[in-house]
Amino acid sequence: MAVTALSDGPEIQRLPQYKYVDAVRWLPPLSPFDRFAVLASFDSDSDASSIEIHSYKPNPASLEPHSSWVSPSRVSSLKTLQFLQKTVIAASTYAGSLHFLFSNSTDASLESEVSVPENELHRGSISSIDLMDGGVECVSVAGDGRVNLVTVGNSNLSYRRVFDSSGLVSYTTAKWASPVEFATGGYGFSLHWWDQRKPGGPVSQFKGNWDQKMTAGIVHSIDIHPSRKHTCLAGGSLGTLFAWDLRWQQQPIILSRGGTAAGNNEVPLVSESEVWEVQYDRSTKSNMSSTRLLPAMICSEDGILAIIEQGEEPQELLAEPCSINCFDIDRHNPSDVICGLEWEAVAILTKQ
Amino acid sequence: MAGGEGALVPVPSENGGSVAVYPLHHGLNPPIARLAISWSRGNSLRVSVFRPPSEDQVGGKVVEVKLSNGDQEITDAQWRRIEYGSVSPFAMLQSRRSSFSSLLKVSKSPSPYHLDWWEYVIEYSKDISSLLGGRKLSPNPIIEEPKAIFKKGEEPTCLKAAWELMEIFYADKQSQAWLPERLVDWLADYDSLFSSTQRTIHSKLVDFQKDLVNIQVIEDDPRYWEVLSSALAVGWLDIVVKVLRLHGSYQLDQLSNREIENGLVEAVAVLISKMPRLRPESAVGKLGECFKSKPEFSKAWEKWRAQITKLDCSAFWIQCDNHQTREGLKGMLQIMLGNIDSIHMATCHWIELYVSHFLYIRPFTMGIESMYNLVLKCIQMKPVSNTHRLTGLLIAILEENTEVVLAECSKEYGPWMVAHAVELLSAGSEQAEILLYDERDNLGGISIGELYRLIYAQVLSSHSLTWQIAPIYLTSCMKQGMGLLEILLYRQSVRHNESLLKNIELCRLYGLNHISSNIMKVAGVYDWKHGRKGSGVYWLQQADDANRLHRIAQQLFDSVGKSISDESFKQWEGVIELLGSDSKSAGGLEFLHKYRDFKRFLQQVTSGKSTEAARQAVDSLILLMKNPSTPQRFWLPLLYDSLKLFNWQDCPLLNVSETNLLLNKLQELSLARLRPDFKESSLPPEALGCVRLALATNLGRAILDE
Amino acid sequence: MAKPLLTLDGGTTCSSWNYCGERLAAGSVDGTLSIFDFRDPASSSYLRSTFKSKIHEGNIVKVVWLPPEYGDAVACIFADGIMSLWEEVAKDSQPFQWNMCKSFGSSSMKVLDVQFGISLTILKMVTAYSDGYVRVYELLDPLELKSWQLQAEFQNVIDSVSTSGKASCLSASVSWNMQKGGSQESSFIVGYNSNTSELNSSKVWEFDQAHQRWLPVAEMVLPEDKGDQVYAVAWAPNIGRPNETIAVATSKGLAIWNLGLNPDHDGRLPVERIALLPGHEGEVWQMEWDTSGMTLATVGHDGMVRLWQSNLNGAWHQQAAFKPTS
Repeated sequence: MAVTALSDGPEIQRLPQYKYVDAVRWLPPLSPFDRFAVLASFDSDSDASSIEIHSYKPNPASLEPHSSWVSPSRVSSLKTLQFLQKTVIAASTYAGSLHFLFSNSTDASLESEVSVPENELHRGSISSIDLMDGGVECVSVAGDGRVNLVTVGNSNLSYRRVFDSSGLVSYTTAKWASPVEFATGGYGFSLHWWDQRKPGGPVSQFKGNWDQKMTAGIVHSIDIHPSRKHTCLAGGSLGTLFAWDLRWQQQPIILSRGGTAAGNNEVPLVSESEVWEVQYDRSTKSNMSSTRLLPAMICSEDGILAIIEQGEEPQELLAEPCSINCFDIDRHNPSDVICGLEWEAVAILTKQ
Repeated sequence: MAGGEGALVPVPSENGGSVAVYPLHHGLNPPIARLAISWSRGNSLRVSVFRPPSEDQVGGKVVEVKLSNGDQEITDAQWRRIEYGSVSPFAMLQSRRSSFSSLLKVSKSPSPYHLDWWEYVIEYSKDISSLLGGRKLSPNPIIEEPKAIFKKGEEPTCLKAAWELMEIFYADKQSQAWLPERLVDWLADYDSLFSSTQRTIHSKLVDFQKDLVNIQVIEDDPRYWEVLSSALAVGWLDIVVKVLRLHGSYQLDQLSNREIENGLVEAVAVLISKMPRLRPESAVGKLGECFKSKPEFSKAWEKWRAQITKLDCSAFWIQCDNHQTREGLKGMLQIMLGNIDSIHMATCHWIELYVSHFLYIRPFTMGIESMYNLVLKCIQMKPVSNTHRLTGLLIAILEENTEVVLAECSKEYGPWMVAHAVELLSAGSEQAEILLYDERDNLGGISIGELYRLIYAQVLSSHSLTWQIAPIYLTSCMKQGMGLLEILLYRQSVRHNESLLKNIELCRLYGLNHISSNIMKVAGVYDWKHGRKGSGVYWLQQADDANRLHRIAQQLFDSVGKSISDESFKQWEGVIELLGSDSKSAGGLEFLHKYRDFKRFLQQVTSGKSTEAARQAVDSLILLMKNPSTPQRFWLPLLYDSLKLFNWQDCPLLNVSETNLLLNKLQELSLARLRPDFKESSLPPEALGCVRLALATNLGRAILDE
Repeated sequence: MAKPLLTLDGGTTCSSWNYCGERLAAGSVDGTLSIFDFRDPASSSYLRSTFKSKIHEGNIVKVVWLPPEYGDAVACIFADGIMSLWEEVAKDSQPFQWNMCKSFGSSSMKVLDVQFGISLTILKMVTAYSDGYVRVYELLDPLELKSWQLQAEFQNVIDSVSTSGKASCLSASVSWNMQKGGSQESSFIVGYNSNTSELNSSKVWEFDQAHQRWLPVAEMVLPEDKGDQVYAVAWAPNIGRPNETIAVATSKGLAIWNLGLNPDHDGRLPVERIALLPGHEGEVWQMEWDTSGMTLATVGHDGMVRLWQSNLNGAWHQQAAFKPTS
């Protein structure tokens, strides 16, 4: 299926970093004029990993290094949050440590850091973390099959293990749905739903009840919209984007599929390879009928950044010659998107 | 390798057997007992250096030697940016080449050069060139800063200069008619690069500019005239005119009493700005008058020369009482008249002298051969002690020796340059194309062009961030690219999910399913053995590795066997879920799936006591017992778990034939127990008896029912 | 420029990188096995020790990694002739551990060299013993490195008449023809450094599926050099050349051989020595081909690292040398 390009193309700036970009996030804005982006970078020449805050200036988009923190290992997952006048940056690493950085709300300088050392939460690298909205609680998941909750207080933190599959199930991603519920994704396009009120294991499991022709894949990223907590939007292998409605558990709504598995023409093809990240697109105005899914943005290994909306032609925003490994939509300025590119660069898009 | 000696690539050996020996610094105290080597990815070599055993000292070091670093003037990170950026132009040119050659097959045209292939090449060349950085020397006068001779810009690089040189001679067919003028422009952009080895006109100008603010009466300073002559000699007309107009006579308070002097200065400036040039057009705002055709140019040239001669003989000179101005301007006229001594004096490097020849002495020079002869003459006139890396390339190009050009590129600029310049060279001439693309037995059946791409791909492979672009170059190698690509993909780590998936994606892209299934096998075994059983099974399933999955099933049975009657079975749910019901891909794990169903029904029976659930439990038990994939050692535990079903109160759940089936299995089991290799289950000793009794009771009830 | 990666403990005698250059195994004079890992993916300089333990009484002389399809495992050859296989595993939420799977050899029947190859999806281990016998073992269970079966044993001689007298072998060198994926029947080359001249010359062995036995299909030696002791052999990866290339180091120097792929009527493969290079003024310790099979790196008695390549005219020459200095 053809992908329609936007008639009013977005403004795109590609900014070489001369370092590998492991993750990108916008910082919640301190004021309408001071905007910041966080980059988790890896300098292959010096083998140094760091979390860098860059100040962002539009027209044309540019990033200026502002402050940075040296990470003991490469960052595997990065999240930001505004909480009680504080900006929190949470980062997990390949070595297995988890770090919380607190930045000053007036000038975005880094003030303090608390961390959990490696091998405490997980054995080996942490796949994904997520910060709960409106409270500093962080869920962490990994290939070792553990699910942990880390609670951050003032300068101290505590954590508890929610589940340990002893490696029988590996988790690749996690996302909060509410202060007590979160979803995790993993191998075989599996999704698990967890409720802290019902401990001991997932309360609901999405069975990959796909047609048999479809090759199984891995979920890489989940998003849950605050207004639609019952729907889990998941992206993964083979250009797959699907939604799992807890109320209609057996049948996923497939929004995009790549490869031969797509088969029918009803499912649009945006990408053929791994969908690395998915977020609800907060800028696209859509028909807000409750029966339809909200529009979503994905980035993929084959270099695509696109908006996918149920029943519509996908909109391709970027088609890079290299992978787009991560992106973030600025919640407060939803027309601005920052992407981390495989070739040691970031791209900043401003939709018209 | 230190010192920019360039890449270790096969070049025709000219040094007659003497081998370059490089120091390998390891920082250990001598003596060294032994060395061990290992190739890492691509062309980086790891060397372990061991000292003789002793307690108090470190035992050794491991160091890594990268066997090529292209260029010292460019940092590693900058190189990677160039490498990333070259991918799209290169891939575009390759795809155009293939569609071009298929087009040729249709049209039966004998050679691609009759069509406009070079236009694609020039587009490619411009794209590559734009990656290599900007030019520093931009002789446009800046209005805001009247005394600034040069505009500040990006530092020029030898790499870009070399690339443009090849573009001029090989790719840009439009410039063939005015090669000398292209060289004039080229030197204007890159003269500063020659300052690294010796004094140049550029360095002269830079020095002069530094002092400019301190000079009171500029025209009295001999350096002023020297700089003017030099810039004029290499045709930097804009600079010359700009600097001329700094002459004191232009100052408002001087105009009245220095009228004649000023008139002469201005006359020279006008002549300079009207200099005829044999070229289609110059850049916007550049001085000089351009003529495309030779007759027109030659007419204009004669006229211009006549004007100079006329001015030279003019009576006004006598009326000019400023000696410095008079002599300085006269000197400039001599340059314009092609006086070899004046030009020799005004230029520093032979390449500047060379360019002046085109401008003032032999403006009609045509053809590479005469350009080559002229270069030899200029080198003779201004010999240099050490050759610059750019002049080596220029001489090789003018010599029309493709092999030497390649060798120069390789030696001075590294594998990136050669791999990409091959496209320019092969567009240059058919001989060059034959030289580059003819397959040679000496090279194991590949062409030189392919060899250089393989070498570049090796360089890309040796860095963890660039190895992923090596496939673009390898797939353009007809003979050996895929072989190397397979090894490259196979030799990537599987320990991290993202890199593993990127690797598998490359296999998919290039249709290397056998490699990806091998990679998934490696990943599966790694995960399985490192405590991530779920993902281990997933990858082995993806790899279709029935053999290993079967062995895993055996191991799982052992684990499940231990927990068969307890709740920890719940832990296995995830793996079983992952396995799905597709028995083909699950190998022997099909049993687990059925067993899970059985367990689930049994649990419902325990909690709810519904006869319906009990019937379903019986059905799945029968399925399990009938299935040949169910290992014998699970028979008894399964039956023992089902005791409740056999003793069901409401009605007998098993019919006669079902009961007989189970009794037969029990019989088989009793016989098997006599064999020495039988493994006893961990059930209580009376288990078998209990099951037999329960089955017998059930049989009795079933017979009565039927 | 040499970039330092790691400092080794006193007494380290040998080291070996795994297939992807991400893990280093090192053995030392007191029988300690150490494993070093790069900390992060794509990391290029930060190695840390993840395992260190004394696994044997006596010197470790060689460490060889198994193919990654069989897990992260190494074979360690000790000075006393024992060779043991060690594997990294994690059991149920426990940290990773290195466990011994199996050991081979004895003081009277020393293991001199071991190399692994995958042939028809089965892992084969070729061991060269000090009694002049080559023993080929097969792994029975692809997930269990304990279960080996002896598939064949033979002396490294062309004629089936076994050599007279007791062979005494100092060292041996084995190299597999590594075919990707291992879906085909493989072959390997073995050469000896012994007092029995028939054993020494390096020979290519190929498995004859029809008769279920290993056959010598080529001998890499000129008639006048027959008894020369072989220090090292290395089979070059073949990414598409019409011939196989094999390097053989003897006391005469470093020879590059071409091996044809089409057998003659005796079943022998045509061989041709295309270069004899000076080598290292004595014993060659190790030879390694790069992944393209275009560059050969060698180390030896003179303490130098040397690189060899063929030029555009097909002539082999020394391309560069590295002299270790403090």
